Amino acid sequence: MVTTAETPDLSVRVGALTLKNPVIAASGTFGYGLEFFPFYDISRLGALVVKGISVEPTRGNPPRRIVETPAGMLNAIGLQNIGLRRFKDSIVPALEKSKAVYVVNVYGRTEEEYEVVARGLSELSSLAAIEVNASCPNVKEGGIAFGSTPEGLFNLTRRVRAISEKPLWVKLSPNVTDIGVMAKAAEDAGADAITLINTLRGMAVDPRSRRPLLANVTGGLSGPAIRPVALRMVWEACKAVKIPVIGIGGIQSAEDAMEFILVGAAAVQVGTANLRNPNACVDIINGISGFMEREGIMNLDEYRGTLLL
Amino acid sequence: MPHRMPRIMTGKILRNEKRGVFYRTEVSVPERVPFMPGQFAMVSGWNGNDPLLPRPLGIFRSEGDLTAGIIEFVYKVVGRGTALLSGLRQDDLLSITLPLGNGFSLDDAGRIWWLVGGGVGLSTVFPAATYLAGEDFHMFLGARSHDQHPPREWIPGWDTPERITLCTDDGMLGYNGTVGAAIRERLEVLSSSDKERLTILACGPKGMLKDLAETALPLGIPMQASLENHMACGFGVCWGCATEIRASGGAEYLRVCKEGPVFNAGEVLW
Repeated sequence: MVTTAETPDLSVRVGALTLKNPVIAASGTFGYGLEFFPFYDISRLGALVVKGISVEPTRGNPPRRIVETPAGMLNAIGLQNIGLRRFKDSIVPALEKSKAVYVVNVYGRTEEEYEVVARGLSELSSLAAIEVNASCPNVKEGGIAFGSTPEGLFNLTRRVRAISEKPLWVKLSPNVTDIGVMAKAAEDAGADAITLINTLRGMAVDPRSRRPLLANVTGGLSGPAIRPVALRMVWEACKAVKIPVIGIGGIQSAEDAMEFILVGAAAVQVGTANLRNPNACVDIINGISGFMEREGIMNLDEYRGTLLL
Repeated sequence: MPHRMPRIMTGKILRNEKRGVFYRTEVSVPERVPFMPGQFAMVSGWNGNDPLLPRPLGIFRSEGDLTAGIIEFVYKVVGRGTALLSGLRQDDLLSITLPLGNGFSLDDAGRIWWLVGGGVGLSTVFPAATYLAGEDFHMFLGARSHDQHPPREWIPGWDTPERITLCTDDGMLGYNGTVGAAIRERLEVLSSSDKERLTILACGPKGMLKDLAETALPLGIPMQASLENHMACGFGVCWGCATEIRASGGAEYLRVCKEGPVFNAGEVLW
C-alpha cells in the first residue's frame, strides 16, 4: 500500500525558484505555450520557456526551415516571433490565467536590445525568470555573437543582470571549445542558473541537386542524436559552477531526464520531444514519478549528482 | 462542429491496401473525429527515434460515433516515414494527432465548385467532393501518366462521370494535358453568370497550384489552395512550415500547419 509519505517528491529548486517538478518545456519547441491548451493543463509543468522574444517582431528565415536527420532534426527558424509588445498584450494574460510557471527566452541584435526586452518583461509580476538566449546558431545576431566567447557572454549577462531583478537564466551554446569556461563566465556575471545545451550547428545537402536543404544553409541540430553530447556538457558545467544547471538536449523519456539529474542537473528542459508528441512533457513527468517509486528515490536532491565514478 | 480542438489518439490498423501508386490505410479509433476536408493528421507508427517525426497526412475519411470511429488516409510513399506506414499490418498501432489546420470553406450556398487534385492531392480533394455531394461540382484529377491515377471506385461521384475530368500529362487517359489546360478550356465555354458563381479548390504540387492561381485570380475567380510543406510538429509550435503570405505592407511567414494548409490563393506569394 502506498502511503502519502512514500509518494516521491518531484519538486526541485532552481536558485530562488521552487518548481513542482523538474520538467521545463524548452524555448522554441513550445510556441507561446497556449498552443498546448488542447492537449493538457500547462500548469502541470515544472515551468515552460516561451520562444525567443525580441524588441520588434522578427520575420524569421525563408523556407525551407526544417530537415529531419538520423534521430534528430535541423532547424533554421530564425527566431520568428511577435515582438515584446504583442507578447505582453496578447499572450501574457492567457499565460497568467493558465497559472503556469512561465519563463521567457530573450534575444537581441545588440546588448541594448537584450536590455530593452529584459526591462519590459521584468515589469510582469507573473514572470518567473528570464532566459537569455546567448546561443541561437541560426541568426547572426541571435546571441551567438555574444555567446561564443567568455568575455562576450560575461558582458551580456552582466548588463541584463543589472537591469532586472528577475531570476536570470543564461542559455549556452554547445558550439564552444570549453563549456566549463563559458558556464563560469555566466556565473561570474551574476546568472542565477544556466541552461545547456542549445542546438549543435549542423548542415544537410542534396548530393544530386548539389544544394543545401535549408535556405539558411546551416541549422541547429536537436533531438536524441545530440543527447550524449549534451549529457557530457551538462556534467562538465555542473563541475565548473555552483549555480544550478538546467540540462537540455535530446531528452525524450523519464530515464533520459534522470540521466541529466544524475550528472548534476537541477532540472531539465524538454524540446524536440514536444514536436513529435504534444504530451511529451507530461509523459516524462509521470515517468519520473514512476522511476522514483521503482528505484526508491524519495526526492531528487538525494539522487542529483550521485554519478558513481 | 468541424474545427474541433486537436487531440491525440491511438489507432489500430484495420486495412492497409496498395492500389497502383497509392496506399489507403483504414484505422479504427476510439471515437468519430469530425473534420473539414483539407484538415490533416500527424501520424507515426514505428518505435524508436528514427525517423524522429510523425508524418502529416490529409484526412481522407472519418466516420463513426462516440464509441467507435474509423479514419482513412490515402498517400504515396515518398520517404522513409510513408514507407514505414505502408508496411504496417492489421492490428498494428498508430499514434495520431488530429484534426489539424484549417480546411476548405465549403459552406457557401449556390456556388459552382471546381475541385482540382494533382497527384496525391486527391486525398484532400475527394473528401471535399464527398462533402459537396449535393452541390454543383466538377472534379479535375491530374496525373503524370495513366497508371498514376487512383482506382475508379475511390473517386467520389464516379457513377456520374460527367462530373469528373481525368487529365494525364502523357495523354494515355482522359484529357491530354495538365489540369490547368483542361480548366482553361472549360472556362472558355462557361457562361459569365456561371463564372461569377465559380470557386476553385485545389490540392497538388506547387507548380500546379501556381498555374491554377494565375488562371483563376485574374478572372476574379476565388481559389482556395491547400499547400504542402515540410513540417516538424504539425500543430503550430515550431514555425518550421512557414510560407510567405501577403500582409499589410508586404508579406509575412504564416504556418502551413496552423493558418493553413488551405489558404486563399490570392494571398499566397507563389
